Amino acid sequence: MKRFWVSVIIALSATVFMLYQNGAFAEKPKETKAQAAKEEKKPAAKAEQKPEAKQEEKKVEALAAPTIQTDKTSLNNGGTVTVTGTAPAGKPVYIEVWGEKKVRASRFDADVDKETGKRPYILYMTYEMPAYYKIFVPKDKKEDFEKIKKEGKKWAYSKALKDLGADIAYSIPAKVKIDRYQATLMGSIIGSRGELLPAMDEKENKKRSMQLVKARFRSPGNVLAPTVEVTPDGTYKAEVKIPKGSAPGKYTIVAVVDKNAKSQPVSIENSISFPNVYLTNAGTSLNLFGPFLLTLGIVIFGVLMGAGGGFIMNPLLVSIWPLPHTVVAGTVMPTVLFSQGSGIYNYSKIKFISWKLGVAIGLAMVAGGFIGPKLTELITLSQFKFVFGWILLILAALMFWQTTPGYIAKNKKEQAIIKEFKKKAEEAAKAKQS
Amino acid sequence: MIVEFWGHEFKVNIVLGCIGGFLIAIVSSMFGFGGGPFMVPLMTVGLGLPMYVVVGSSLLAIFFNTLMGTMRHYQFGNFDLLFFLIMFPAAILGGFIAPQIAKRVSPLTVKRVAVVGLVLLALNLLGVY
Repeated sequence: MKRFWVSVIIALSATVFMLYQNGAFAEKPKETKAQAAKEEKKPAAKAEQKPEAKQEEKKVEALAAPTIQTDKTSLNNGGTVTVTGTAPAGKPVYIEVWGEKKVRASRFDADVDKETGKRPYILYMTYEMPAYYKIFVPKDKKEDFEKIKKEGKKWAYSKALKDLGADIAYSIPAKVKIDRYQATLMGSIIGSRGELLPAMDEKENKKRSMQLVKARFRSPGNVLAPTVEVTPDGTYKAEVKIPKGSAPGKYTIVAVVDKNAKSQPVSIENSISFPNVYLTNAGTSLNLFGPFLLTLGIVIFGVLMGAGGGFIMNPLLVSIWPLPHTVVAGTVMPTVLFSQGSGIYNYSKIKFISWKLGVAIGLAMVAGGFIGPKLTELITLSQFKFVFGWILLILAALMFWQTTPGYIAKNKKEQAIIKEFKKKAEEAAKAKQS
Repeated sequence: MIVEFWGHEFKVNIVLGCIGGFLIAIVSSMFGFGGGPFMVPLMTVGLGLPMYVVVGSSLLAIFFNTLMGTMRHYQFGNFDLLFFLIMFPAAILGGFIAPQIAKRVSPLTVKRVAVVGLVLLALNLLGVY
């Protein structure tokens, strides 16, 4: 037992040291730099306000702002709101809708830069992405929209906005605060996000925000919809559909005909009630019985087949619900901690653990576990799914190997030995007690 | 390294064990699973240890990884408390129900079902269908 405590102390101190290292090198400069970035932003914002105000005055004469009405002011776990109004005749009308709840979005830029030919390795990250964001475009753009859909995974949000003419309506995500980190190999190994780079100017921020919108919402159908009906006399009508599972809270709707001709914002309230719950970190609301039953079923199956449930759990969770893979990986891990802990306790009671062996390999695994979670946010969901696909194929091969006759024969012997040892161990433990 | 277990001594190639464990730990903490099904073959086939030494010790090694991975995921803001509170009771409940069912089904059948299921899920993830 003495040996156990010594090893635990070693492991804990190594962990604390690693965390301290990371905290000292990565966290502190972040704060000061973030402050500096804020300060930089302020004068820039002030400078912009003035010309904008002037432009607006001019444009108001040229193009009247559209009017807007909605048929509802509240929704219960999503629904359809009909938006109507009048816009200057002959102009396409875009409707921008966003939710007040904010979520995290990140994108790791490792694509070759066309100008320099180098890979930038920069991690873009924001905590202010709206949990729901969509631009509804006029119905006659449907063909263009279908084309974008056909591009598959490689579609670009910025190009889609331009093709549909929707870039005039794109405003909310453009203003989110985006942090940039210069990732390095060494930084990734010690588990830091890297050096925080200075804040970007407005134009660059807008460009990067579009990439983050794609990273967060993935497919074109989630951020664009060609549903606005515009009649020649300028009245328009659109059905704004807030899907089930969207974040609760206030949704703001604005009709846009031009950059400076926007309607007054209208807001509707989306409420969710038990058993639907909103997962703050994931930005999704779901029926809580869904994941509960899924976990229950998979844990049972996992125990029966002798593999933890995480293997099946994670891919299913990201496939069934619109959950970010980072949150799924980060939340499934702690759920197995308890069962592992109780397993260790049971084995240790009958002295069925080689502490020396377990701790030696465990220390190597601690180092691995330190690096892994950092890498999760560097990959996209499709990469996550792709690698997971191969991991599962390997696991399936291992499982298949365990059903071959040779393995079964060997396993039978070993199971018999385990039983015998367990019996001995239990007897020894009992003898000690009495 | 020499490991003593219930009166038997085993010679273990600890370098191989540590490198293998390290790599498995990176992948498993990155994708958020335990890693047991990979650790057990590593220790039985790779290190040549008998099953009865491996069952407990591999669990201990994985526990270190899960603990560290959990802390790091939390640090990077990947942990959702409510989501955890939904899944955690289900996991505990499953842990109690499973042994009851285990007595009635053959592990071989379960494994065969698992192979088919895993391949189907994998092909789905790889976008084959």
